[in-house]
Amino acid sequence: MQITLIQGILISLVVFLCACDKHMEVFMWFRPLTVSFLTGLCLGNVQIGLQAGAVTELAYLGLLTVGGTVPPDPLLAGLMTTVLSYTTGNDVATSMGMAVTFALVGQWIGMATNTLYAGFIPTFEKAADNHDGKTMGTWVIGGIVIYAAAYAIVAFLCTYAFQNGIVAFVNSFPEWLVNGFNIAGGLMPAVGLALLLVVMLKADNFAYLILGFVLVNITNCDNILPIALIAAVLAFISYQRDVQISKLTALKGSEGDEEDGI
Amino acid sequence: MVSRGKLTKKDIDKVGYLSVFEQCCFSFERMQAPGFCWAMVDAFEKIYPDNPEEVSRAMHDNLEFMNTEPHFASFLQGLVISMEESGQDPELIRGVKNGLFGPLAGLGDAIFWYTLMPLTASICCSLASNGSVLGPILFIAIWIVGGLSRVWFTRWGYNLGVDAVKFIGEQSAALTKAAGILGVTVVGGLIPSYVSFAFAEDLVVGTVSIQGIFDSIMPNILPFGLVLGLYYLFKKKNINTISLILIVIVLSCIFSILGIM
Repeated sequence: MQITLIQGILISLVVFLCACDKHMEVFMWFRPLTVSFLTGLCLGNVQIGLQAGAVTELAYLGLLTVGGTVPPDPLLAGLMTTVLSYTTGNDVATSMGMAVTFALVGQWIGMATNTLYAGFIPTFEKAADNHDGKTMGTWVIGGIVIYAAAYAIVAFLCTYAFQNGIVAFVNSFPEWLVNGFNIAGGLMPAVGLALLLVVMLKADNFAYLILGFVLVNITNCDNILPIALIAAVLAFISYQRDVQISKLTALKGSEGDEEDGI
Repeated sequence: MVSRGKLTKKDIDKVGYLSVFEQCCFSFERMQAPGFCWAMVDAFEKIYPDNPEEVSRAMHDNLEFMNTEPHFASFLQGLVISMEESGQDPELIRGVKNGLFGPLAGLGDAIFWYTLMPLTASICCSLASNGSVLGPILFIAIWIVGGLSRVWFTRWGYNLGVDAVKFIGEQSAALTKAAGILGVTVVGGLIPSYVSFAFAEDLVVGTVSIQGIFDSIMPNILPFGLVLGLYYLFKKKNINTISLILIVIVLSCIFSILGIM
């Protein structure tokens, strides 16, 4: 289906807001679950938004901004998965595979602005010399506007201006490629989960990974909340034990000191 | 007893609300410093009403390199204004700030980004994939609370003051470990429901279907193996995120051409 000019503008506004939040990382409006839902609302097709959001969110779960790195962008991935399903009629898993390209565009925006803002530093230093909070605030807020505007422009171009070209390009894909993207849609959550593990998985908690996996296998429970509660109980036990141990160690340490004193 | 009482509860909450801009103008050079510093400027002016040089000094101190987890940045901001207000030595304040942001980043990432975010996202995703608008709405609602909790983090940092160092020393290792257990168990539980990796039923060796063989070893063993495989490639072989995604897409296209999935 075609995206109208009004829809294109609405989407750009939504993307502007979501990109502001992406810059600040406060309300999670930049996560695909929210972006796709809002895009679906703009397109008048909430169901596509919900499905696209769920699929993309899981694939980009572990792709987080950690330690100053810029990962492929979940915002444009959520947006374009929804838009491509709407315009090309492919299912959401297939569209998500195709939307990876746009996630890379988002990554470039992030790297470009991170470089650009280094140029703001002398202005901030000067504001500090003059104990001038106002100038500092203007530039800080200006930074968000630049970032969000870049996103809004890219969103307008991808969803409205170039839509015919993009649709024609996607429609020229052979069947094996479309089917390949569909399979990739099912496999991609594995990337997100693997990246979550890169930071969290340690030799001493590997057993818990197996526990969670086996629990779901034997209960066939699609809802993760019960599993999470069991996990929370185990985490609580571990926390309490560690605090007790550190208290005991401290106690033993201080007794040792006293004996030395005597 | 050092004098306090220069900042009201309102001043502290203002720092908390402004702390949502902490990550603005994130650059590779100073990372989060501009936003981190800006939120505290008004508080510095209240603490040093007749002494612009001190305001300048405090602003410069907080424009130094800063990179931590956003919620705990709010905590640190509360801590910094608390220490400035009680007239601590600027060098001590800088030392505490620079010494804490690393450990706090680890703690905050473990709690917010690797546990709460994936957990809330996956619960809301299962609602959304069943076609319920409650999924995204609940997700938005939870994170409005999550975002506004930063005011509370600022108050917490302010109230702890220098005691924060002792508190973090005692608690952060235990908390990070507990968050790791919670997160890893949940990720284990997400693998079977969210990764679809199964061979076609009609792919057989003799009379036995290949997928049947895998299922009789352990259901969902293929998704589990895929996650561990990708983990191995990233962690041990240093293959970056984009390459991992491309590997998955290429693999999928090969499966598609062979017609085995």
